[in-house]
Amino acid sequence: MKTYDVIIAGGGHNGLACAAYLARAGRKVLVLERRERVGGAAMSEEVFPGFRFSVFSYVVSLLRPEIIRELELARHGLQILPLESTLTPLLDGPMSGSYLAQWSDHDQNRRELARHSPRDAEAYDEFGLLLHRMARAVKPLLSTAPPDPASRDPRQLLDLLSLGRYFRGLPERDLHALWKLLTMSAADYLDEWFDSEALKGTKSASGIIGTLLGPRSPGTAYVLLHHYMGELDGVFRAWGFARGGNGSVSAAIAAAAQAHGAEIRTQAPVSKILLAGERAVGVVLEGGEELRAPVIVSGADPRRTFLGLVGEAHLPDEFVGAIKRYKFRGASAKVNLALGELPRFTCMPQPGPHLRGAVSISPSVDYLERAYDDAKYGEISRRPYMDIVMPSMLDPSMAPPGKHVMSIFVQYAPYHLNGGWNDARREQLGDTVIDTLAQYAPNLKGAILHRQVITPADIERIVGLAEGNIFQGELTLQQMFFLRPAPAWSRYRTPVHGLFQCGSGTHPGGGVMGASGRNAAMAILGARA
Amino acid sequence: MTDTVVIGAGSNELAAAHQLLRAGRSVMVVEERKTDRYTDGWVPPQIAMPGLAVDQPDPWLRAVLPDGGTLELWRDMKRSTDAIRRLSPRDADKWPRFCERMARLAALLADLYLAPPPSLVDLRFAFKVRRLGRTGMEDLMRVLAMPAAELLDDWFENDVLKGALGALAVSDLQQGPRSAGTAFRLLHFHAGNSPGVFRAPRSNYAQIARSGLEIRQGVVQRITVRAGQATGITLDSGEELGATAVMSGADPRRTLVDLTEPGWLDPDLVRALRHIRRRGVAAHIDVELERAPDWKTLTFAPSLDYVERAYDDAKYRRISAQPCLDLAADGTRVHARFQYAPYGAEGEISPTIVQQHLPAIKRATVRSTMQLEQAFGWPQGQPHHAELSLDQALWMRPLPELAGYGTPIRGLWLCGPAMHPGAGVAGASGYNCARAMLRTL
Repeated sequence: MKTYDVIIAGGGHNGLACAAYLARAGRKVLVLERRERVGGAAMSEEVFPGFRFSVFSYVVSLLRPEIIRELELARHGLQILPLESTLTPLLDGPMSGSYLAQWSDHDQNRRELARHSPRDAEAYDEFGLLLHRMARAVKPLLSTAPPDPASRDPRQLLDLLSLGRYFRGLPERDLHALWKLLTMSAADYLDEWFDSEALKGTKSASGIIGTLLGPRSPGTAYVLLHHYMGELDGVFRAWGFARGGNGSVSAAIAAAAQAHGAEIRTQAPVSKILLAGERAVGVVLEGGEELRAPVIVSGADPRRTFLGLVGEAHLPDEFVGAIKRYKFRGASAKVNLALGELPRFTCMPQPGPHLRGAVSISPSVDYLERAYDDAKYGEISRRPYMDIVMPSMLDPSMAPPGKHVMSIFVQYAPYHLNGGWNDARREQLGDTVIDTLAQYAPNLKGAILHRQVITPADIERIVGLAEGNIFQGELTLQQMFFLRPAPAWSRYRTPVHGLFQCGSGTHPGGGVMGASGRNAAMAILGARA
Repeated sequence: MTDTVVIGAGSNELAAAHQLLRAGRSVMVVEERKTDRYTDGWVPPQIAMPGLAVDQPDPWLRAVLPDGGTLELWRDMKRSTDAIRRLSPRDADKWPRFCERMARLAALLADLYLAPPPSLVDLRFAFKVRRLGRTGMEDLMRVLAMPAAELLDDWFENDVLKGALGALAVSDLQQGPRSAGTAFRLLHFHAGNSPGVFRAPRSNYAQIARSGLEIRQGVVQRITVRAGQATGITLDSGEELGATAVMSGADPRRTLVDLTEPGWLDPDLVRALRHIRRRGVAAHIDVELERAPDWKTLTFAPSLDYVERAYDDAKYRRISAQPCLDLAADGTRVHARFQYAPYGAEGEISPTIVQQHLPAIKRATVRSTMQLEQAFGWPQGQPHHAELSLDQALWMRPLPELAGYGTPIRGLWLCGPAMHPGAGVAGASGYNCARAMLRTL
């Protein structure tokens, strides 16, 4: 029987990144993926003949630049095409029939903002500078294993101390600004800066992604920072699109892992983690096959890992309680469309650069908040928030010539839907999305050749993410840093010796960052992450 | 000329004045308007005075059940547990443990409340937190950031119990119980109270604390500044009162932007002052009854969803169609809080909504947030002057630059409820302010 140093259950981008780093360090690694291809939620598929989609996650925003560098992802085929703009079409209000466009060109952007509010145009640069500074302050934490503040372990105390020293080294006003970002709602935070409803709506939208929270819910301001982290690295812009779809990200990481000698097996679903006493010693596949290794890593979400693969009985009660309390509450859905022609947005009907960027249906904070209100009580948003990209505009190979693919990220579609999800509700969601979007682009309905609707229940069923939460658990303050996924177990270790976690259910969380996988590998190698 | 002029005659200003007096300073209190009869909040021994009468209604909570009857929570844990058991045996079993855990966390807060706020990177604070032990620390970190609804859902199943506690957590806040950071408020108003009591008592503090102080009536028009130093105040009568220090219980924005002679503040600070959130959300209804009701307190907030829906209206600047009500009876007089009735919202606040819970009404007077602003000087009708939310609490209250009670103008101090710890502890903001000032002398 072949032996391995490490077995990784789950071939999502984090599992693959973890494998690549371990293999690079000379470990013999095996990755087991349940599905027929790797990538997890970062996956491309030809859903309809000739039309390729990033079925689930659809943009690259936060993939850590050190991962791109260290794993030489460019050499392994990763190419990121920048999304240059965001267009927010407007139906109601003072700018009815018009739009707000955000361009990557500074002066063009400023002119456009001034059209809405000269004051906002003035404030925009200052706002950007502040958020850049905050992002820079937070960035080192992304590649840190969060120390447990209650620990007595000398090494963790040392880490705590250096963390404390790091924060004490920051200017006090930056700390306070950071505290505000962590505790305020995106709407309140943006109210301090801007007047334009369309700008506040569109900016606050980034704060609600992946959570069942509205823009007026405290804690949503923090995610505004994420948009400034990508830009900061100077490697690529905040938002980009991987040539060939997001599956290319996974494929490049997988190629890097294999180049370093890692083995990847698909259609190999892990059903159980094997224990000997309090130690993990291997895994059992659904077919009954047993594979053994001294180190087991789970890329699955905390619920599946601990309550499913390990089993409550083998874990301390306190820990089981914490995992059960850990909130998923998926609220995001995807609608993928194959289009016979480009959509014509009433506010900007000619084809142009705006179609190469994102289109955001987020005309105001109230619009998003109302969308949340529906979901809060278990209903699909009657007027959902949508983030739309057309990958075929950037990468023509995604669709047959002259035709297009459109990816629509939709919020909110709560996992805990009143009456539960079924085919009729899925179609209802699809209709709601199309009807809403058609108000902005009336030719849309006639242009649709095929449509694929993915509900949170589908995400759970297909990808295995609990409750369809795209981040493997909500990124809220009480589930972040040293509380993710459970207090005392935020350093990728688990109460089971030899079992580690590397999914985005660990710090720093989701967003196709790859940081969890890399940090987990560092923890396993015993290196100071 | 007195040493210190204190603007306002509420519990904080009076507590400050007594501290100054005790240190041998001469003090003049300027009463701008008649203060409320009651002082809400726990009265720490450092602040208490002879003649203090604290009204601690027992049961401290009476929540109306949807099908008639009430859930009563008592100061006596056993009695509360029995009352809860009639609705949910499961919740009754958990109640004592919940109370015990909350009391431990609240004790840590109570410790912080009679001193200036700790700094965000204060190691002493960090060590204090570590002394809570693992469970306590984990609770604290989780609970501070949590929505009250999530905390309550973690522990309990009964809607009325959760609704009533959830409503307490969001009282006078433009947030609903599902908003993050509201669990912190449950702890905040619990601090200083016995385990299992999540509502601060009311007392006659602001009445008795007047004794021994020189108090005069007048409305402040200007705080005068010479060479960066506060030199006194000008009243609307034109009279000038000179002083070496001015301590203001008015809200920071009024104090620094409206009253202080312009030109002394950094524009960034002025901008920050304008952004202090202070949205009033509760209207008051004063009711005179034919006869006294047989209860002292009554809460109508039958579920977390009910409270959340009441908040939904407020988000869109509407008065709640189905508001949360909190009634306190004093003989035949009943004081009702009606939440949410946001400042400047459309719609009418109808007193009929409280009728269903009351015997025959003689007279009812509604005071909107706008009228409360007029009557009490509460900015936008917000009695806390600055909303008590995590981003405006502790070292952030009301702004990090002002958290130490002093201002960039020498001799000008802030002692109102917008300062740490704010509402919930009678006079503590004033007490802390006076002590901070005395330390600089």
